[in-house]
Amino acid sequence: MFSLLSPSNIFYWIEKLISFINSIFFILLLVALSFALIFSPPDYLQGDSVRIMYVHVPSAWIGLASFICIALLSFANFIFKTKNLIIITKSIAPLGLMFTLLAIVTGSLWGQPTWGTWWVWDARLTSMVILALFYIGYIVSHKFILSDERANKISSIIAIIGLINIPIIKFSVDWWNTLHQPASIKLTGASTIHSSMLTPLLLMFFVMLLYCALIFLMKYKTEIIRMKKKNLKRL
Amino acid sequence: MIQNFLSMNGYGPFIWASFSITFISCAIVFYKTQKTLKKYEREFVKEINELSAVKRKLVVENSKIASQVLSSHSKTI
Repeated sequence: MFSLLSPSNIFYWIEKLISFINSIFFILLLVALSFALIFSPPDYLQGDSVRIMYVHVPSAWIGLASFICIALLSFANFIFKTKNLIIITKSIAPLGLMFTLLAIVTGSLWGQPTWGTWWVWDARLTSMVILALFYIGYIVSHKFILSDERANKISSIIAIIGLINIPIIKFSVDWWNTLHQPASIKLTGASTIHSSMLTPLLLMFFVMLLYCALIFLMKYKTEIIRMKKKNLKRL
Repeated sequence: MIQNFLSMNGYGPFIWASFSITFISCAIVFYKTQKTLKKYEREFVKEINELSAVKRKLVVENSKIASQVLSSHSKTI
């Protein structure tokens, strides 16, 4: 299975996928932004400030999902020792960090008009900062540890330890008293968000996912070429 | 109407700042990623071209990736 997904087998498709995403991205972005900024109604309590949700929530979802992917692939790498998995996790990490930081910053911008403060050290916000620190640790270990094998081992350990923080982030709003509201969208059970707000939210999430796919493919391609370049020097 | 849209009932600065920060960050990351990819592609092609004819042939025949990078690079030129 891993040989089918080897870089040389999927390299051709990466190019095709990048072109495809490029061709539809801006149209979808315009549609999503129109819904988020024009067509969706203001909240009865928060007014128009609720529109920040359309960038804040997808950013937080992507930040969390990326870290789960990195941790699971790092764990798989411990078992299967496949270089491809390391390339994938290395390509996801900067994206995950960016979206985690965006979730923190946009959350702070939403907090000021809603809670009356830019920042509080409550469970949800603090655990998100800890997630960002795990991302930084992961990226820094790849950047500054010269031995590839050691860097892979240390970064994988960081990712696996960091996985403990994910349920803490998810359930922090239920376990502790926080300013942050509980989840409105549930995978199991009915969501408490109206469809007029859920549609733009999902559209923005889809557009951001496409963006992530685009950057991931470009970074993955760069990593493959970097690896091939190294091999070329050995000739 | 435009003024109402921009002010967003007083929440404009927070909303526009959130959207701007998000899209500017995304644009910067896209630009930097594309630049790095192009740089690596250029360097890779340059290194292949600097190889002797025999070695170059060997690399192109044995590596799908090398041949694809070479062909896509020649298309962009």
